[in-house]
Amino acid sequence: MRYGLLFVFLTALMLAQAPKTIHPDLSGIWSYGIDLPPAAIKKQINGKVTIEGVKHDAVATIRPVAGASPFTATPSYKPELRAKAKDLLDHESKTDQVFYCGKPGIPRIGPPRKIVQTPNEMIFLYEDISGDPYRIIPTDGRSHRANADPTYYGDSVAHWEGNVLVVDARNFVEDTWFGEDGYFHSDAMRVTERFWKDGANLIYQVTVDDPKVLTAPWTMAPRVVKPSAEPLEESPRCVEADSKRLTNNDHHGQR
Amino acid sequence: MRHRLKWGSIILAMTAGALLAHHSPSAEFDMTKRLTIAGTLTKVDWINPHIVVSIDAKSDRGKIENWRFESNPPSWFRRVGVSRSEIARGIGQPVTVEAVRAKDGSLYGYMQKLTLADGTSWELVNATEK
Repeated sequence: MRYGLLFVFLTALMLAQAPKTIHPDLSGIWSYGIDLPPAAIKKQINGKVTIEGVKHDAVATIRPVAGASPFTATPSYKPELRAKAKDLLDHESKTDQVFYCGKPGIPRIGPPRKIVQTPNEMIFLYEDISGDPYRIIPTDGRSHRANADPTYYGDSVAHWEGNVLVVDARNFVEDTWFGEDGYFHSDAMRVTERFWKDGANLIYQVTVDDPKVLTAPWTMAPRVVKPSAEPLEESPRCVEADSKRLTNNDHHGQR
Repeated sequence: MRHRLKWGSIILAMTAGALLAHHSPSAEFDMTKRLTIAGTLTKVDWINPHIVVSIDAKSDRGKIENWRFESNPPSWFRRVGVSRSEIARGIGQPVTVEAVRAKDGSLYGYMQKLTLADGTSWELVNATEK
C-alpha cells in the first residue's frame, strides 16, 4: 500500500515535470498577401523629386520551398463541370463577386496579416477590401461546431503535425471561388491550410478538396510570407464603379 | 492565389506605363488618348478598389462639368507613402489632372498625374524608372 502511494506520487511528479510539447510560434505581423500594382509613384514636393515603388521584399511571394507538398497549377474539375469553370473564367469580370467587392473566402484571401497564437487557439486577422475578417481557430482538440450555418470563412479547427500547423476548414457558403480563375466549389469543400516557419518566413500551403466537383484534391503552390513591420489598417470601404464601363470580359488581375 | 502574373502582364501591355486597375485597363480606358483637365479639386474618395478624385472643370462652352478619375488602390498608395490627407489638402483649389479617358465617353478617366496649385505632384510611373 505504501509503495503504491509512492508510485502514484512519483508518477504524478514526473508527469507534472515532463516538458510540454513546444510548438513554433507563428505569432506576428505578416506581409500583405495581395498583389499590388508594380508601378511606382513619382512625387514632386517643393521641387524635390522622389520615386517610390512598392517594396516587393515586403510582399508575399510564390517560390519553391523545401518541405512543401507537390502542387499543380490548376485544379481538376469533373469532365461535366469543366465547361462551367471555363465559362466563369471567360466572363470573370461579370461572374466574380470579388470584382464587386465581395468576400473572397478561404483560401482565396490568402494567409493572414496577423497571427496571435495562444495555448488553445490561433487568431488570424486579415486585411481585405471586402472588410477585414478574422478567424478564431481552436487548437485544443475540439471538433468542428455542430449545426453551424455555412459562412464565407467556414468553420476551422487546427492541430499540430510536428512543426506544422494544420488548419481544417469546412462548412462554407457556395458562392465563393477558391481561386480567381472561376474555381467554383460546392458545400462539400474542405480546405486544409498548412503553416510552418522557414527561418523568419512563414510558409503557407493549401489543399482544396471537393469530391462533388473535383476529380482529386488540389494542392496549390506554397507561399512564402515575409515578416512585416506594417501595422494592420482598416480597409477603406469598397465601391465597384467600373463594371458598367467595361467593353469586354478581360480578367481583372486582382487576386 | 495568382499574383504577380496578371499585374505583370498588364504593365507589359501598356505603352503609357503605369495605368493599373482591377480589370484590364484597355477594357475600360482608351490607352492611346491622354487628356489634361484643369479645374477645382472637389473630392478625394479613399475607397477600394480604386481611389477616386473629383474635379469641377469648365468645358469649352463654359459649362462646369464634374470629372471623376480613379487611380490605384488605397493599399498601394499607402505602400508608396502617399496618404489621402496629402492629396485632400488640395480640395477647393485649382489642380491639373493627366489621365486616360473612359471609352464610353463619360467624364471619367484613370489618373496618371495630379498636380496641385503649389506645384506638388504625384505621377504613376513604371517601377523600372526607380
